[in-house]
Amino acid sequence: MSEVFDGYERRYCELSASVSRKSNSASLLVDGEEKNKLISEIKAALEEADNLIRKMDLEARSLQPSVKAVLLAKLREYKSDLNNLKKELKRVSSPNATQASREELLESGMADTHLASANQRERLAFSTERLNESSEKIMESRRTMLETEELGVSILQDLHQQRQTLLHAHEKLHGVDDAIDKSKRILNIMSRRMTKNKWILGSVIGALILAIIFILYYKLSH
Amino acid sequence: MGDQLARGEEFEMKAEKKLNSWSFLGSKYEDAADLFDKAANCFKLAKAWDRAGSTYIKLAGCHLKSESKHEAASSNVDAANCYKKTSPKDAISCLERAVNLFMEIGRLNMAARYYKEIAELNESDQNIEGAIDNFERAAELFESEEVTTSANQCKQKVAQFAAQLEQYQKAIEIYEAIAKHSLNNNLLKYGAKGHLLNAGICQLCKGDVVAITNALDRYQDLDPTFAGTREYRLLKDVASAMDEEDVEKFTDAVKEFDSMTPLDSWKTTLLLRVKEKLKAKELEEDDLT
Repeated sequence: MSEVFDGYERRYCELSASVSRKSNSASLLVDGEEKNKLISEIKAALEEADNLIRKMDLEARSLQPSVKAVLLAKLREYKSDLNNLKKELKRVSSPNATQASREELLESGMADTHLASANQRERLAFSTERLNESSEKIMESRRTMLETEELGVSILQDLHQQRQTLLHAHEKLHGVDDAIDKSKRILNIMSRRMTKNKWILGSVIGALILAIIFILYYKLSH
Repeated sequence: MGDQLARGEEFEMKAEKKLNSWSFLGSKYEDAADLFDKAANCFKLAKAWDRAGSTYIKLAGCHLKSESKHEAASSNVDAANCYKKTSPKDAISCLERAVNLFMEIGRLNMAARYYKEIAELNESDQNIEGAIDNFERAAELFESEEVTTSANQCKQKVAQFAAQLEQYQKAIEIYEAIAKHSLNNNLLKYGAKGHLLNAGICQLCKGDVVAITNALDRYQDLDPTFAGTREYRLLKDVASAMDEEDVEKFTDAVKEFDSMTPLDSWKTTLLLRVKEKLKAKELEEDDLT
């Protein structure tokens, strides 16, 4: 006979496990089709559990007293368990009405989480975009810096060349200075020679004129 | 400016008459030269470049006869300047005459500068061998005058053209010498890595992978900072791409370098040649296998 009892017990355990599971998921769901379905399922399961417990009760009482005590204790446990489940069900199904109106009032709930995740995705895309932009800007600034460096190098080369030109010109100027001094001296010598020649020429002319005058004088006085 | 043209012609005729006549004191050449100068000026104002050029050449002839080579050379240069606007070949011939005169006088500096000008005219005329010749001569003269910067510039151009004409060894030597020289100078050392890059690219065009790795080590010895630069990385990547004969890797390395600083046309041409060689080698290998 206890086999029958064992069978009932096993069946009852399955039912209670499934009922507790369903009532958990039902408490998470919003008020709607699913929840009502679940609630009706739970109710059916609870009724079946009830039947099982009554059957178990009858079985237990029909057995021998030693086994009866053990089985009755188990049965009491199951009954309290069943009551808990019923209370769960009540809790799940009853605040539905107030829940529904609360939700409507505050406009919060499941929709919000959808919205929230969409929001988060948007923000994520936005920040990724911003990161991309800033890395692009960094690349751009690096490119500009390299260009500037190249420009700087070419400027340095030009400067080097100009430096050489300037040094060269400096040397040449010294050379020109010396050459000018030399030419000044030569010009001085030339002008002195010129004046010397002029004097010589003038004195020769003067001497010749004097000679001519003397000759004429002697000729005339003879 | 028609009147300028007329005045110019007037002066020219007077000068010719002077030349043909025989005047006293033998000063006819100077007078003729003076008149020719005025004539050429008028032609320049009238923008008749050909006539101005021919007048300047006659002027040079006069100066030569009156034994002032310097003046002759300067008038040749003026003639060349006028001809530059019309026919480069005439300009080149005038400049050559001028250069010879300068060298006779001993003004090597000016001679070198005008050689450089001839070479640049050759370059714009796409006469690359002539350009190389003249740049080389200019570089020699500059070096003998200790004007190392201009010498280096001319040598750089020589190397550029040599590489274009596939005379890679010459180009490599020149670039390495320039790089070594630049490193000694505080102002120029920042340009050294550019020269080493050019030398490296020429090495790649030669296609000898062992030589490239040797060269890279050598460059690192020359310039300790070279190893950290992007140029060094590019050369290394390309060398390893050549070693593995992987065209993808080559293209990636070049693209990365190009994204930072755009490559100029000379480098692009040479790198393209390397790529072709690489592709040919790859195809060859496929054919054999």
